[in-house]
Amino acid sequence: MRRALEPQFGREGVRAVMAATFFGEVVRAPCRAGTEDEEEEEEEGRRETPEDEEVRHQLARKREVRLLGRQTKTTLEVSLLEKYPCSKFIIAIGNNAVAFLSSFIMNSGVWEEVGCAKLWNEWCRTVDTTHLSPTEAFCVFYHLKSNPSVVLCQCSCYVAEDQQYQWLEKVFGSCPRKNMQVTILTCRHVTDYKTSESTSSLHTPFLKALKTQNFREPPCCSLLEQPNIVHDLPAAVLSYCQVWKISAILYLCYTDVMKLDLITVEAFKPVLSSRSLRSLVKNIPQSTEILKKLMTTNEIQSNIYT
Amino acid sequence: MASQYDRAITVFSPDGHLFQVEYAQEAVKKGSTVVGIRGTDIVVLGVEKKSVAKLQDERTVRKICALDDHVCMAFAGLTADARVVISRARVECQSHKLTVEDPVTVEYITRFIATLKQKYTQSNGRRPFGISALIVGFDDDGIPRLYQTDPSGTYHAWKANAIGRSAKTVREFLEKNYTEDAIANDSEAIKLAIRALLEVVQSGGKNIELAIIRRKQPLKMFSAKEIELQVNETGKEKEEAEKKKSKKTA
Repeated sequence: MRRALEPQFGREGVRAVMAATFFGEVVRAPCRAGTEDEEEEEEEGRRETPEDEEVRHQLARKREVRLLGRQTKTTLEVSLLEKYPCSKFIIAIGNNAVAFLSSFIMNSGVWEEVGCAKLWNEWCRTVDTTHLSPTEAFCVFYHLKSNPSVVLCQCSCYVAEDQQYQWLEKVFGSCPRKNMQVTILTCRHVTDYKTSESTSSLHTPFLKALKTQNFREPPCCSLLEQPNIVHDLPAAVLSYCQVWKISAILYLCYTDVMKLDLITVEAFKPVLSSRSLRSLVKNIPQSTEILKKLMTTNEIQSNIYT
Repeated sequence: MASQYDRAITVFSPDGHLFQVEYAQEAVKKGSTVVGIRGTDIVVLGVEKKSVAKLQDERTVRKICALDDHVCMAFAGLTADARVVISRARVECQSHKLTVEDPVTVEYITRFIATLKQKYTQSNGRRPFGISALIVGFDDDGIPRLYQTDPSGTYHAWKANAIGRSAKTVREFLEKNYTEDAIANDSEAIKLAIRALLEVVQSGGKNIELAIIRRKQPLKMFSAKEIELQVNETGKEKEEAEKKKSKKTA
């Protein structure tokens, strides 16, 4: 028979109790029973030292997502979509999606930069977090000069889990407009795609869609089947739109080449027939040329693979 | 599950995978496309050329390499790994010639390369070679050969095959178009290789490199002009075939 003697704290803060077994040996046993005395001890263990607090504040400042205005380069006081309300918001996340928008959408019309989101996390290559230069702006926002209600975002950086909500708040605001349509483009490696078919029968790259309840149009490709899920910033944006009842669709390209690749970028082409992008596409042959130039400049850098 | 069993090459996962070898096969897909065709009297290797920087010497960026006078290979994957494998294969070719006074057979050198690759999948502290290779040549008996090796160390003989980026698309094209007529003579086999590459090479002839070996003749690398000629001829034939098809349907 075990008898609880005194509550003690283990290394993980789990309450452990010294207990005596039938044969008299004293052992440490976990105990879920609580007493009033324990709360004070818990608080003592959890109370931060001033140094811990300072480190925590510094880390929070370092990981802050800052939204900067175009001309002033100072932090925007309101969210981006409050300052630049739009009816169409197109977000490209990842280098292939960004290359697709650059070649097929941004080559026609005049696009003006309206702001950028700067952030730092462990995946960033830069070390200096306070003086990120303009060329290191990772998320750039543009609007079409001839039709400012079309806003585009090109996000080439990784937005960490703890920064995603900040990013959403600073871009969408705490009470976003419902009458806009959001289109998100991103890529994922085909090894993340779960299917009962043999993977050798998959024709990569291929496109899958996931939409919010308020999105009424037919998507440009088949919907993403269960049990596949979306990750990272695209998932955060889509969830946010679902909660706020905004019409949004995510086009996810599963590819076997995650670096900038012509065939992966061209896999997004069916999206050009969607209602939000159709009116923005003007010159497809020129787009293909621009894309090829982007590819060659990028390919030349690396000699690892031949 | 993969994350627990994919760090060490010498560890099998519970369902029998060697993840490092499978990941090495992913590295192969990062290399540009290579196609190999075995004709009746010719073997053809076609590759998609990698873009070369302005100041880079083009001759030092090669995917097709001779292993001996009668054998050559093209690879897709990690450049440095390929250099090591080619170097070892070349030494083996000469060593064999000096030892037994006969040149290597294509199958022998393929088996040598495959054995080398397999060793690296079973040693601690090493990683597999991240390349697949297409090895072509003629043996003394005059029969053309085409073999493919992959990072796991397996090798097989093929009539036609492709490796590297978009290899699947090219292989499907070859499965549809590799017929007895298509390899009836040397120029038809060359055109088949070019047509297969053009399925995936975006910018046409200037990004293609071609090499052939004919019976009792050394490796011949096509010059840019010759390739341009072949590509134009192939283009014309394709147009004519399409015109005939549209006339028939009309």
